[in-house]
Formats: sequence, C-alpha cells, structure tokens
Amino acid sequence: MHQSIKIFTIFLYLFSIQLFATETELFEAKPPIVFTKAEFVNNSTTRIQFKIVDQLIIVDVEILDKEGNFIIDTGSETLILNSVHFKPTRTYRQKRKQSSGVHNDIEDVREKYLKKLSIESLSLEKLNADVIDLSHIEKIKKIEVLGIIGYSILKDFEVFIDMHLNQITLSKIDKNGELLSKKVYAETIHDSIDFKLKKHTIVLDALIENHKVKFGLDTGAEYNQLNKNLDSEILDYFYPSEELKLTGASGKKMKVMAGKLYRVKLNDSIYFGPMKTVLTNLRKMNSAFRTNLDGILGFEFFAQQRTIINYKKQKLYFIKFPILKP
Amino acid sequence: MNIKQHHIFLFFLSLFFTSFIYAQSKTNKGYDIKGQDVFFIFNINDYPNIKNNGETIDKVYVSGEFNNWALDQWPMTKVNDSIYQLKKDLSLFTSDFGWEFKFIVNGEHWAEPTREFENSVDAKDYNGFPLMTYNLKFYSAFATEYGNVSFKLKGYTNAKKVILSGTFNRWDETGFKMKPTENGWRITLQLKPDIYEYKFIVDGEWIEDPQNPSKVENEFSGYNSVIDVQKNITFSLCDFEDAKTVILSGSFNNWSEEDYKMTKTDNCWTYNKRLPAGKHHYKYIVDGLWITDPYNSVKEYDGEGNINSVCMVK
Repeated sequence: MHQSIKIFTIFLYLFSIQLFATETELFEAKPPIVFTKAEFVNNSTTRIQFKIVDQLIIVDVEILDKEGNFIIDTGSETLILNSVHFKPTRTYRQKRKQSSGVHNDIEDVREKYLKKLSIESLSLEKLNADVIDLSHIEKIKKIEVLGIIGYSILKDFEVFIDMHLNQITLSKIDKNGELLSKKVYAETIHDSIDFKLKKHTIVLDALIENHKVKFGLDTGAEYNQLNKNLDSEILDYFYPSEELKLTGASGKKMKVMAGKLYRVKLNDSIYFGPMKTVLTNLRKMNSAFRTNLDGILGFEFFAQQRTIINYKKQKLYFIKFPILKP
Repeated sequence: MNIKQHHIFLFFLSLFFTSFIYAQSKTNKGYDIKGQDVFFIFNINDYPNIKNNGETIDKVYVSGEFNNWALDQWPMTKVNDSIYQLKKDLSLFTSDFGWEFKFIVNGEHWAEPTREFENSVDAKDYNGFPLMTYNLKFYSAFATEYGNVSFKLKGYTNAKKVILSGTFNRWDETGFKMKPTENGWRITLQLKPDIYEYKFIVDGEWIEDPQNPSKVENEFSGYNSVIDVQKNITFSLCDFEDAKTVILSGSFNNWSEEDYKMTKTDNCWTYNKRLPAGKHHYKYIVDGLWITDPYNSVKEYDGEGNINSVCMVK
C-alpha cells in the first residue's frame, strides 16, 4: 500500500508562486481566478488553505494577473473586487488574447464580468464581480485585500469550513445537492441541521436557553451580533463588558456594546460555549434582506464547530474537533 | 495486535499560553499586562503639563485607537491622589500590532507624554500629518525572555536604536526594540509556528538579516529575511508491544518506508520530529502493514483516494 499526497507547503510557495501550474495538467487555459494554496483531492473536490487575520478567513487567490488576499464571506452576495487594486480604467486586452478569451471586461466599468472561474479542475461560468472600495478594511487590518468571495461563488459547492485544519474544502454538487464524489470527507459527520436560505443569507433556528431565535450565519462576521431589541428574557444571557467601535463592510462606523452570549444551542447535541458577541440594531439589514433575524453568528460559530454548508440541500453538517491530549 | 492507546503530543502548546502572560518590559509607561488583563495606569507625576496646570483632577479617561479616540468613554478609577487605573480584558486587543493611546483629564486636557517614555511615538492626525506631540503605544504582542525565537544582529554596536519589524507584528516600526548585547543586538519573541518575513531597522535604515541566507523579494524590489518557525511533535503509538518494527511515514519524509524508525519506550513506539506550520499527512507501518493513527480522528483523502491521518501544526 503506497501513499502519496500532494501538499503545497507554504515554504515552497514563497519561492515559487507559479508552482500551481506544475501541479495539474487539467488546465486548458489560465483561468482568471486561481487559489494559489489549493490541494487537489479529486476531480470535483479542492482543498484551500486559509489564514485567519484577526477573525477573518483569508485565502490566497490569483485573479486578473494579480495575486493576494480574498476574504471568504457567506454574508456577501457576490464576488467583490477591491477598487483600490482593480482600477476600472485598467485593460486586460493583451492578457485576454493570450489566454484565449477566458475573461472579458464589460462596458460598465463598475462591474467586471468574468467569463470563467476556475478552481483547479472545477469551473464556473459567467460570474459577475462588483468593484467596491475596500480600503477601510485594509487600513484597519493593515493587510492588502484584493476582494471578497461570497455566495455567488460558494453556492455551487458543498463548503467545508474547517477551523482545525485551517482550510476550506470546495466540492462540486449536482442539481440535487449530492456530492459528485464519495471520497470527500474521511472523517465522520456526527450531526446535521436544516437551514433556510433567504436571498443569500443562511438562516438557522436556534435556542438561547429555551427561547427560540433566528440567526443568520456569516463567515465574514468577525463578531457575533445580537439584535438589541430582543426580549429582555433573551438578553439576560448576554453579559456586556465593553463598548466597541466597529467598521462595517460599507466603511461606516458604529458604536456597539460587546460582551459574551451564553447558552446558545442549535439542538440537543450541538451547543456552544460563551461566544464573543456585540449588541446591534439589525433592523436595516432585516428590511434590506426581508428577513427577521435575531442575530448573526460569525467567526465564533466556525471556531467552535467544523461546519459543512450545502446551499442546495439547505443543510449544515458538523465534524468533530479532535481531542488533543496535552 | 492490540490497539489501546495512542497520542500525538503537541509540545509547546501550553508554553504559548504561559509565556505570553508574563514578561512585560518595565520601561513602558501608561499600561501593564498582568495575566489576561491590561491595566492602563495614569501617574500624574509622569505628565508635567497636567501636574503643573493648577487644575484639580476630577476624572481621567483612556482615549486611543481602540475606542476611536473617544474623550470620555473609558473612565479610570482613582487609586490615590496621583494614580488612576483602568482594567481591560487583553482579549479585546486581538490584533498583533500596537495601539496608540493617551490619557485625558477632565475630558479636555490631554496628558502629553515626553520623548523619554520608552513607548512614545510621534502623534499624527487622521490624514497622517505630524501633530508635533507624542502618543503612548500599547503593544498586545511583546517581546519576552521566555520566547521560542531569538533574533540576533551582529555588529552595529554604534547604532542608537535597532528595531525588529516583520509580518508577526504587521511591520510595526516601533514595537520590538532590540536590546544591545556584547557584540550586537538581540530580541526574543514568542511566535506560533509559521513562516515570517522580517527586517531590522538600524537607526531608521531597513536592513535584511545578514546572518540569514533565506530571503524573499518584497514589493519595494528589495528583500525580506524569512524565518520558518517549527514545532516539535512527538508521534506515539502505544500498545503494539508485539510489533518488531514500527515506521513513521508521511508527507514530511516523502512517504519513506524506512527512514523514520520509531523507538520503543515502555509500551509505546515514539518518534520526535520538528515540523513546519500546516497540515501533515502520515501513517504508521507496523511490521510492514500500513495503518492510520488509530486514535487520531482527523483523517483525509489524498489525491489518489487513500486515507491518511492528519497532524496539524499551528
């Protein structure tokens, strides 16, 4: 029995950015988006290493001849490119010719049209990207951010966000949400729950102690959020400690009360330790997305549960964290 | 064959938490880190402009980047006539880099630090223009005597100030002041396994580490020095007492079937290996038979459909 595994070590990667190309012969043309730290599992499955910067999940991507950080954000509806790095005036004509027309700019300079997105052997066609100024995120986090990968890209995959192995597994699914390969997860899925999709937002039924609440699930939320207009019976489980200034994706600043939220559970077997949470007013978001959320679960959720998202089946699956002996 | 017990020991993990807590430079003014708490400390004797302005001190606040320079949101508690204090949870300051702050008296008088403060930095306005005053800086990442990585710079003994700056503190240019030694400069940090880029700033001039041959090109068409911080992992397979040979084979040794022979101590087979940050696939070969690690639940398919055990170093 011989074992072999193709791992891109970060070290190698530092010295040879082009090594992605040596890994796979499946490319027909150089795609506009490439995950530079990806690992081939099978024809429908790719694992991508991420790093965590503060509480954001960040992957390395090559896109339109640039390479850099993208935030994985289920709270974002589309693919977003940072206008700081993707100037609308830029042309890619020369590149386009060479790469046999895999990407085009449309007339409207505020929006880029990517004809084909390739993730190793997986490919998606006709994606739109919004070009938005994300300089405030760069300023606060002191890192370069090329863009945000949102729902429009993630929805066609089963998405395993694994905070133990610091990687995201993207696996292609058919129209019923079934995985195309049987050999995706070698670990056991120990539990699952259903969710509802409201526009692009994952909405979960949860409990705080015994009070029913509706939470949105958002990988891009650095802090959990709890609507401050909830019943005091529910807010009793929120223990405030600090006032914080937060900056939203729009760059708008807001003052919030931060603290810890206790006794959150999804069912009798999936429950959470105290989670860092801020009290906010979700009214605007609720009216924009026609939802009625009591809160948002973000980074802390994923930090406590290795979670698989299947948008087609509207189901979450969970894989256990290993018990590490000291 | 009997499989009962097994573990991978993750050394250093506890070391991270313990050594992170203590060891704080005594020369920093305005704050102190004790355990998981930050104490902001205002001592009126440090600020002549407050001590000598003749006004009675009613209230003192902490104002800084962490509360967007709010004038009256973080009130301090009076300890005695000259000392005020405010305790905050260290976990609030999750970033690796430093935070600038100042004290403000009665909601209107800024306590002006002088250049002599070890942790004073030039104050700038929102547009980056110098304000001709100083701010204090609070470092949530700091140097420690008990760290796992020592940076040394030979020579430059005539330099006035040498700073270490790198990806571990997002290229902060003030935080890690190196200490002079007999023949150069030195600083010790506690760093998680990862690959870091860094440079020294000798009296304002950025230089690579002359002793370190590994470097990468940076965006200024120069080079940054690179360090790969690794972690010692003990692979251990217990209760295969009857086995004659046990081999550790994995992505870290190119799946060699003979290189890493495990040794039997008591009733466990062990092998020590320093590993870089990230994911490592491995298996044991017990008397020629390949097995996954029976008590490590973390497993993955490789690119050919085989299942391997996975060890995560982070």
